[in-house]
Amino acid sequence: MFNSLYRHFFKLDALSSFVALGIIVFSALTLVYSLRFMRGHKQLIQYYTYILFSALASILAVLSNNLILLLACWGFLGLTLYLLILMGEEQPAAAATAKKAFVIVGGSDSLMLLGIGILYFLTGTFWMDNIKIPLAGGGAGILPVAAYLCIAVACFAKAGAMPFHSWIPDCAETAPIPVVAFLPASLDKLLGIYLLARVSLHLFVMNQAMNTFLMVVGTFTIIAAVAMAMVQHNLKRLLGYHAVSQVGYMVLGIGTGNPIGIAGGLFHMLNNAVYKSCLFFTAGNVEYRAKTAELDELGGLAKSLPITYISCLVASLSISGVPPFNGFVSKWMIYQGLISSFQSSGSKVQALVSVFCLVVALFGSGLTLASFMKLLHAVFLGQRTNSQTQSSRNEVPLTMWLPCVILAALCVVFGIFAYQVPLKLFIFPAVEGVLFLGTWQAVVSTLLVGAGLILGLWLFNLKGVKPVMRQDTAFIGGEPVDLTEVRVTGTGFYDSVKNFGMLKSIYRKAETGCFDIYEQGKKLFSLSKVFQYLHNGVLPTYLVWMLLGMLGLFFVLAR
Amino acid sequence: MKLLFNFLIFPGFLFSVIVGLMACWVDRKVSARLQWRVGPPWYQNFVDIIKLWGKETIVPEDAKVTFLFAPYIGLLSLVLVATILGRALIWPQSGFSADLIVVFYLLAIPAISLIIGSSSSRNPLASVGASREMKLVLSYELPFILSIIAVIIKSGGAIQLETILNSQSLFKSHIASLSGTLAFAVAIFCAMGKSGLGPFEISEAEQEIMGGTLIEYSGVPLSVFKLNKALMLYVMPVFLTMLFLGKDLSPVFMSLKFVMILVIFILVKNTNPRMRIDQAMRFFWIYMTIPAVLAVALAVFGL
Repeated sequence: MFNSLYRHFFKLDALSSFVALGIIVFSALTLVYSLRFMRGHKQLIQYYTYILFSALASILAVLSNNLILLLACWGFLGLTLYLLILMGEEQPAAAATAKKAFVIVGGSDSLMLLGIGILYFLTGTFWMDNIKIPLAGGGAGILPVAAYLCIAVACFAKAGAMPFHSWIPDCAETAPIPVVAFLPASLDKLLGIYLLARVSLHLFVMNQAMNTFLMVVGTFTIIAAVAMAMVQHNLKRLLGYHAVSQVGYMVLGIGTGNPIGIAGGLFHMLNNAVYKSCLFFTAGNVEYRAKTAELDELGGLAKSLPITYISCLVASLSISGVPPFNGFVSKWMIYQGLISSFQSSGSKVQALVSVFCLVVALFGSGLTLASFMKLLHAVFLGQRTNSQTQSSRNEVPLTMWLPCVILAALCVVFGIFAYQVPLKLFIFPAVEGVLFLGTWQAVVSTLLVGAGLILGLWLFNLKGVKPVMRQDTAFIGGEPVDLTEVRVTGTGFYDSVKNFGMLKSIYRKAETGCFDIYEQGKKLFSLSKVFQYLHNGVLPTYLVWMLLGMLGLFFVLAR
Repeated sequence: MKLLFNFLIFPGFLFSVIVGLMACWVDRKVSARLQWRVGPPWYQNFVDIIKLWGKETIVPEDAKVTFLFAPYIGLLSLVLVATILGRALIWPQSGFSADLIVVFYLLAIPAISLIIGSSSSRNPLASVGASREMKLVLSYELPFILSIIAVIIKSGGAIQLETILNSQSLFKSHIASLSGTLAFAVAIFCAMGKSGLGPFEISEAEQEIMGGTLIEYSGVPLSVFKLNKALMLYVMPVFLTMLFLGKDLSPVFMSLKFVMILVIFILVKNTNPRMRIDQAMRFFWIYMTIPAVLAVALAVFGL
């Protein structure tokens, strides 16, 4: 009986199974991390309950074959997100952020409801197996497009693509770190992109215009979010903007519409969840030890947190797409998707769009690298502040560094053995007919570099060649410098970029919330102030209105 | 085994280091002649490197591991690029290869290693150097991407190095067209930025921030960074030759084209003073990006 019920409501195919597996892994790591990080929090029971409920609802949403079941779980996740953000330490800010996240995610959920309604109107079924409608033609007019857009908006808001991104940086700043690593950084990305892929690949037949739309949204998200990330002064907020920017690559990959690009987008979704949770966990370690996440007040933590430093270094290089780590492989696949969409493009305009997206995606990866170099410099390298002059080794407890190390190791394994492990097991079963345009022999190349490194080490340890080593402090002009006095913090790293011509005014506008859909929405809803004025809670006013209304009514009726 | 030989000896480490150091010597000699000096003998760079091996290596406190490993990682990734390019030139069907995007990403690793290594040293001037280096990377990356994409478009969307070479040897070099010429001119300056030559020697700026990124390096690690610079002088001209001048790449023509690009580098270097970082950003993001965009647009329309 259970089996038939399961068959009826759930569907376990190649796409949903690996996403569900990812959800389980990330939930487990988050739970391990929370053991120590959340110790002493007031509402621990609620915290763990919400985490487990979110994990359960995510798995149900991913596996469900019924649109209504999917919508219910999806909405429930919005609620747990609200409750989990509310657990943040700085109270008024956390409550405001929770509200903002709930408004954006919940609002997009209602659009998704509308989209599902249109789908039901068009096909007469809620079973995802039975739906397959073309976006254009077929006599349905604009309706399929509207349905697709409604559901896509829900995916964008969940995953955090622009312009529905603005809750993520705020959430990263105020919510507890394990929550950020759990929901916005890994689970919401998995879910949002999973649904986008499911809708684009299985529920609808995409056309060229819609693919181009996805590509443009992705490209815009990449470049705008990463440009904001570069100039942030708060470690967690900076990571939050990167969580937005990486979504752009996934949307871009799915928007290319050819197998290699889609496979790249899905692989990037998995990779992003790995390195982004790792980065948030390391940020949590830093905050746990230094008691602050402001880049100005951090510096030189590499010696006291060596394991955290190395994990963060690996994850930073992965997210910047440096070979041989995992971020590189998936970005490289997305680029190939763009190139093959260029090759197969019918018109010159289409070709130019593909080329434009390719340029922006490549350059966005350079900007990502830049902001992570700033992060590494400001947090782990560079000069120490006055308050952290102790330099002895002071690593965080085991349950906090272990998840970071596991995730960093995954970054390396998924990068070097990309063809052998993740692509073969997870991605290729889900996307058929992937054809690589280029070659990248990750294993051989890494072996060569490793061989060179070992040979070099062996040479320098030979007798007679071994160099004389000595440790000393930093000198300038022949005199030792007081490093706590002469500091170059990371915050000023890119001031000359920020003040570069036109960028200056764009940055200034962005800081005042000009591009924030929530702030703009608030202005729209300020119309409701009129109604607020009427509802002032004073009984005589209400009585006067009632009396006036009754008089009017009587006048009309008794005339 | 043959691959390891390739990596360590022939197109890889030994060969490219020797050619790179000779290119450095050409650079020094020509610069000296332009300034009415005599210039060093041909073996000067080799002696310099070997001298550094005998010196004491001073390591600053903290972050020792990344400080010491960074130069080697940069060097090895450059050697990997040299191997890939060499094999694509000499044994096109050999099985081990990589495409243009991979090479582009591998070429970014030396800059990353320089930044991480120098920030590990805790010296404030090294931090200034690291910040400048990163901004320089950002500046030249945009036009460099565009000019590489112009090449990809001109080869009909191929990203394999062998295919790009083939399409050039079948028809004509990519430089022999309007878009190709524009892209090549842009790529020359970007390559100079990548090798930190002449007007773009911003992150080291010896007279200003005392070597900047290299300020705390001494002994063997310093020699490895010097080797990195020398290798850049080998890898970048070869890379540009393959992308833009790939019509006839027999050894004689290859060396001629290599020397030609090297001479352009040296001439630009000697006729231009060092830029400030904001000037370099303006130069690359405006005066280089506009022609590069033009080149890409022309390439799409087949010019």
